[in-house]
Amino acid sequence: MAAYRADDDYDYLFKLVLIGDSGVGKSNLLSRFAKNEFNLESKSTIGVEFATRSIRVDDKIVKAQIWDTAGQERYRAITSAYYRGAVGALLVYDTSRHVTFENVERWLKELRDHTDQNIVIMLVGNKADLRHLRAVPTEEAKAYAEKENTYFMETSALEALNVETAFTEVLTQIYHVVSRKALDAGNDPSALPKGQTINVGSKDDVSAVKKTTCCSA
Amino acid sequence: MSSGEVSPERNGEMGRRFGELRGVQWRIDLGILPCESSSVEEFRRVNANSRRSYAALRRRLLINPHISKDESSFHDRVMDNPLSQNPDSTWGQYFHKAELEKMVDQDLSRLYPEHGSYFQTPGCQGVLRRILLLWCIRHPNYGYRQGMHELLAPLLYVLQADLERLSEVRKQYQDYFTDNFDGLSFSEDDFDLQNDQVKVNNVSLNELDPKIQTIISFSDAYGAEGELGIVLSDKFMEHDAYSMFDALMDGDGGAVAMANFFSHSPSPQNGLPPVIEASSALYHLLSIVDLSLYSHLVELGVEPQYFALRWFRVLFGREFALEDLLVIWDEIFSLDNSRLSGCSENEGVLNSSRGAFISSLAVSMILYLRSSLLATENATLCLQRLLNFPEDVDLGKLIKKAKTMMDLAVDAINSIPEPSKPRGHRHSLSTDTTASGSPHSIVPESYWEEKWRVMNNEKEEQKQPSLNKVQNRIKGWSEKVKMRLSRTDSAGFLSKGKRPPVRRNLVDDLAREGVTKESLLSSGNGGNEENIDHGNETDVSSVASYSSVNGNEDIKPSIAEEVASPLPVSDRPEDINGTEKPVTNLREKRPLSGKFQWLWMFARNGPEGSSEKDGEVSSDKDGYESEPASSSVTEFDQNIAVPSSSTTTDETDKPEGVDQNKMYSLKDLSQSMLENIEVIESIFQQEKAQTDSVENLSRNAMEAINELRKISNILSERDVR
Repeated sequence: MAAYRADDDYDYLFKLVLIGDSGVGKSNLLSRFAKNEFNLESKSTIGVEFATRSIRVDDKIVKAQIWDTAGQERYRAITSAYYRGAVGALLVYDTSRHVTFENVERWLKELRDHTDQNIVIMLVGNKADLRHLRAVPTEEAKAYAEKENTYFMETSALEALNVETAFTEVLTQIYHVVSRKALDAGNDPSALPKGQTINVGSKDDVSAVKKTTCCSA
Repeated sequence: MSSGEVSPERNGEMGRRFGELRGVQWRIDLGILPCESSSVEEFRRVNANSRRSYAALRRRLLINPHISKDESSFHDRVMDNPLSQNPDSTWGQYFHKAELEKMVDQDLSRLYPEHGSYFQTPGCQGVLRRILLLWCIRHPNYGYRQGMHELLAPLLYVLQADLERLSEVRKQYQDYFTDNFDGLSFSEDDFDLQNDQVKVNNVSLNELDPKIQTIISFSDAYGAEGELGIVLSDKFMEHDAYSMFDALMDGDGGAVAMANFFSHSPSPQNGLPPVIEASSALYHLLSIVDLSLYSHLVELGVEPQYFALRWFRVLFGREFALEDLLVIWDEIFSLDNSRLSGCSENEGVLNSSRGAFISSLAVSMILYLRSSLLATENATLCLQRLLNFPEDVDLGKLIKKAKTMMDLAVDAINSIPEPSKPRGHRHSLSTDTTASGSPHSIVPESYWEEKWRVMNNEKEEQKQPSLNKVQNRIKGWSEKVKMRLSRTDSAGFLSKGKRPPVRRNLVDDLAREGVTKESLLSSGNGGNEENIDHGNETDVSSVASYSSVNGNEDIKPSIAEEVASPLPVSDRPEDINGTEKPVTNLREKRPLSGKFQWLWMFARNGPEGSSEKDGEVSSDKDGYESEPASSSVTEFDQNIAVPSSSTTTDETDKPEGVDQNKMYSLKDLSQSMLENIEVIESIFQQEKAQTDSVENLSRNAMEAINELRKISNILSERDVR
């Protein structure tokens, strides 16, 4: 089984999470990005769903493992597992439902509680195609994103508007963080004390070492 | 030991009195209606009572403050008005309900779009909404959770199907339903049918098919409790669906209570949320029936709850089409849900025959995907496959396989250790085989490459003419190994500059021990061979024993044998020459920590590190030279390369042939296919020459064929993309 890895050619592997209220279109954003599909009759997500896609950044192949989590509730029992190792997040709200934007703050808190501080976050206002129903002005969201120091983009999974750009932007930013951090870390990997979260790059290894006592099993 | 309890009470389809009335059968199985042998009167009485209590509940809880205000006393008006902040006020509850309703509606609008003509009708949505609201209001500690709607929907659906069956029967045996003494029944239609009626009337009710009799007597408006007692009733479908849903969620006092799977709070018994506990039980069973697959999943970091959460929560509803799901639920509900006695922990969420079957079915599903899971090298892809179960699945086979595992599942559930031990999912079996047996499942990925090389060496010794082929093949390996190494490095999550400490240790250990290729081949290969064979045997023999018997006497020895026999392998001091050792240590730590938290790629890197012992790794230097931190690897490569280069003749010219590009092209795949075919070819050639090791060789051939199968998996997957 060792020899064939057609699926697995990449230089970097990044885990992204999609979060946000139920029904804001997370799953369709994902299927648009991963499979270029949109389904008007999609079912609600139960638990978590997974997809992958590789893109090219500079001359490197970056593979994104995207975890699409159910929006209606946060599965406390396995929340930290969902976020573990995530280096990027798309926090999605529905531009036609203001309440989903109001909840962004709560999601952001949860995200920051469970992930590395260097995580790349993008606030995504989805369903931008519903122009006549717009409830969240672009400027309001933009200002909020600036205040919270996250990236921001409005998308439409239905019209395939900005979906590619949003994901690519997040992945590119992660890539930049990582390559910068890799340089900073110098060429002596053993100099990094075990168990200390130093940068995004070490997150996957280090956090797993640290957190072996919580959850799951 | 528990086969008596486990063997289904259901004696095949024919034994079920209400086989064709699923809704009735499920209501019996779920404990709403009395047992099958009860009289029709009894059925009707119980039925009427459950409907009464639902009606009362609905009247009490789904109040509309707009309507009820006239009768509510005036003095409440001050406390109880729409602006009241008191959540207990009528209005407070009303608004809470409105919020709940919004949440429920959001999911209901996305319920079974493929059966939208039924589920998306306003009438059906209303029924579903009321049931969910009422249940959630009555169970405020759960509230509404996504997935509940999909547990409820099939229940309503089978009640509807029963009604359709009723109307079929009514059409066919109209006269039995017609009250000839009731003047109203003489409508024009009835006059038209007079002729038929005369014929049919010659047969008395008692001579009809008992099933038809039942349907007719269930629908007699003059029976016990009158209209309220009619078992198959359009009017009370909502009532019946509620009682079914409530019983399903509540488990009727038994072990499997679906509501558990929606709970976040740890159970008081073992401190684990029920979903996690059930997921662990599922993996525990998997480790018993197929250790190699289990180890593969664990190694990749595929934690069971990632997929089992959905499987359990909607009781496989997302994994199968509705019609198939009904068959699966038939099986599940037909099994007794009362707690199995005689085990330490009586409270387990799957601790009943029904729970054992649920667990077995889940394992059966995983086994169904076995080869495609084994061919998968990362967790995300594994999970994608587990959560996109094939639609054209052979349901009968799946269920049959699950049933054969039930005894084991019961034992597995019983052998879950005391919660106080922090051992997590690695439950020690009574025979304590899991822990001691686990190292044997570590099969270094270089296994095949080494095997091929051994055969090449043999070939060379035998001076077979296919030297060119061999050279090509070795070249192919070196490319593969290079690619693996480069991937391994980049796969260490993000930073190429850093190397996980444990991995470095592996590498260092290996270099320090000055492993020569010869020793790797002679001892490592021997050990590995056994390992792999056992991995396969586990499955084969378990299948064989499952298909032949239901009793567990026959299964147990084979399992014990499977698990126990590889033990000597791990005891060998020279086993894999030290590369195995750190890996083994790593794995031994895991059960102690009791978590599934292996890193995505890192866990993969451990075994892969050992695979890099192949001599060809030396060719990979160019892939790293630009990276400052990769020095340890390159050093290691050099260490290894020296002894190994003496073995294979054409090693030196390899670096030139290596493509910098790490992309796997179709060409690479076809090259690999060719290599596998060559392996099989060479086996056939050798088979003629030396007959003594035929068994061994045919095993090799099987392995090569398996590899080919995996390639075809990959190719088809590519195509899909």
